[in-house]
Amino acid sequence: MKWKIIKTFICVFCAMAFAGNLSAEINVVATLPWIGDIAKQIGKEKVSVTTLVKTGQDPHYVEAKPGLIIAARKADIIMYNGLDLEIGYLPVIIESSKNPNIQPGKIGNFDCSKFVSPIEKPSSVDRSMGDIHPLGNPHYHFSPASILAVAKGMADTLAEIDPTNKSHYQKNYQLFYEKWQEKMAQWKSKNLVGKKFIAYHTLFSYLANEFGFQIAGCIEAKPGIPPSSGDIKKIIDTANRVKPNAILFNVYSPKKPVEFIANKTGLKTILVPHDVGSLPQTDDWFSFMDKVISLLSEA
Amino acid sequence: MKQKSFFKETLWLLLIIFTFSTRLFSQDINERIKLLEEKLKAQESLIQQQQSTIKLLQEELELIKKQSGQEKIVAKVEEKPAYKSGGLFGATSAYNPNISLILDTFLYSTNLKEDELESWNIPGFIKEGLEHKKGMNIHAAELYFFAPVDPFFNLYATIPVTEEGVELEEAYLVTTFLPAGIQAKIGKFKSGFGRHNSQHAHLWKFVDEPLVYRALTGHEGINEKGIQLTFLPDFPFYAQLGIEALQGENEILFGLDRSKGLHAFGAFAKASFDIGDYGTILLGPSVMIGDTKTESIEENSIFTGDTTLAAFEFTYKWKPSRWKSFTLQSEYMWRKQKGKIQDTSTSTINNLKRIQDGLYLQTIYQTGRWGFGARYDLLEPLNDKYNLDGVQTSFGDKPWRASAMVEFNPSEFSKIRLQYNYDKSSRTGKTNNEVYLQFIGGVGAHAAHSF
Repeated sequence: MKWKIIKTFICVFCAMAFAGNLSAEINVVATLPWIGDIAKQIGKEKVSVTTLVKTGQDPHYVEAKPGLIIAARKADIIMYNGLDLEIGYLPVIIESSKNPNIQPGKIGNFDCSKFVSPIEKPSSVDRSMGDIHPLGNPHYHFSPASILAVAKGMADTLAEIDPTNKSHYQKNYQLFYEKWQEKMAQWKSKNLVGKKFIAYHTLFSYLANEFGFQIAGCIEAKPGIPPSSGDIKKIIDTANRVKPNAILFNVYSPKKPVEFIANKTGLKTILVPHDVGSLPQTDDWFSFMDKVISLLSEA
Repeated sequence: MKQKSFFKETLWLLLIIFTFSTRLFSQDINERIKLLEEKLKAQESLIQQQQSTIKLLQEELELIKKQSGQEKIVAKVEEKPAYKSGGLFGATSAYNPNISLILDTFLYSTNLKEDELESWNIPGFIKEGLEHKKGMNIHAAELYFFAPVDPFFNLYATIPVTEEGVELEEAYLVTTFLPAGIQAKIGKFKSGFGRHNSQHAHLWKFVDEPLVYRALTGHEGINEKGIQLTFLPDFPFYAQLGIEALQGENEILFGLDRSKGLHAFGAFAKASFDIGDYGTILLGPSVMIGDTKTESIEENSIFTGDTTLAAFEFTYKWKPSRWKSFTLQSEYMWRKQKGKIQDTSTSTINNLKRIQDGLYLQTIYQTGRWGFGARYDLLEPLNDKYNLDGVQTSFGDKPWRASAMVEFNPSEFSKIRLQYNYDKSSRTGKTNNEVYLQFIGGVGAHAAHSF
């Protein structure tokens, strides 16, 4: 009796395992909205893209919900931010997906940060500093130079997975590159050099580096830990000293400390999109950057 | 006869696993060599780069020395890691497994005397009392290891260090190469039976396990050596099917009889649906059957027979953001044991048939770094059969317990929890009013948590 049941199970397993996915499109699963968007721009009609992290969600804290696992189950390639940003959920999603294509070491396991030189890499870390990223600041999607390199990497990898459409991916990358050049000229013309800001989280370091403004301090002194009253006092002192242009926060930052500091210092606050789609008119990566740069330049 | 067929079937199962594996191993070897070559090249160029950087820095240093005429120059040379780190596991020390240590410790207070605590059993279910003592207790300092073994397996191990010694709680391989949707787990692991069973103690929402687990599986749950196969079909929703063949060493369910080889077998199914943007439901049945030989039922007795255990789990979680969540979790469990019980002092043998059940319902509300929880445990809600030679034994009132919990999480890696239990599980008419103050802290690279 026992064995009959077990046998039946095994037979069902085998039969279903070989009934694979036969659709022609490359099934891309992206962790973050910006990754999904770049994949769409490079793959266009040859790929179907599923994004795991919702646009309003804090990408540091996502739960490995079964729904995300089933999405990864069908992926030909999984594209992720890397630099440990998704460390709390992605490894379990990838393993539980039981999908051999996307396991580490396979071509379908695409770490976007491979194409990036991370900044703010701490020389030593321990968690008394909070949930710090030992591999460097993971928010490089604010860096146009990095994104261009990621887009190139995506085009090459998609071409490797789907060689028949190689020219399609190359062409789309070329189009992306041309638009990037055009937009870069626009962004550089909006003068951000010399501006100073206070930010909630270390989101804007790459942008500050590349556009020559300064992040004078972060309200969240230790990443992942809500600021203490001492931290808040310190940031108010910093603000009074350096006279920044504004306080930058995003949709998932706690509102209370931001408003409190704004009241105490008289600084204005700017809600900056943290990713593609997190605010209106940020439907793709270019318009997202348009919005970020225009918000900062108007401050 | 039965033994022989067991052997045959096990071979059959192994054969299937190996047909899959050999095919894939050979495919990958060329890929791996290519990858290794590439990595070697990349490292060579990295070393060259670093050497030239060092040269440059040396030259610069000489220049500075000459310019300033001073010998006391402290040069800060930024240490470059030998590996370009990154990747899913983010290991900086390339081949070390990820290691973490989690300390779980608590202060305990109760109105019971120490000897009453030791005999705080559940008559009709288990004869053991409570393990913890008044005052400070160390549940464990648990060591966790995990890393990919190669492109074909990941390895996990849980090694709790307690005051009694070191234990191998879990150590298993998980396959990553089997065809889409299939995965095998081999070694010693927590069974996929039910919801609570496979969760590690530091992830529990209360200090202690639900009463129904303590009563029907023992407080360590079903944690066995064996093989598990799971399958995730290509459905539009999440549905996982699993089967297990286990050694059957759980003292309460299967017990001492090692002569039979693998003698506990389980199957489970779990389905999950998203409700709106933030809500998730997870539910499904589990069943486990096996041969039993145990001394755990009554003092000075051996029970020989068989066991069937079944459960239904239900979890609803609503989580609109990192800072807010609501969880409702419940399990119903049913157990049937039938066989002969022998009194070891008088050698009399009786027929024993017990059919018992239990359930728990718990709810957690989390806001910011705070969590609030309530739990209700009840045994024998529907079945309280305990038949000795056809005569029902009555043990008294239905065991139950109510709990309330408040926790504060200073960061993701630490937790302080205060819990109160109103415990009426020992059927003595007495109440165990217990209070726990628990501290949990974890260091190191801990594996990501599942839902």
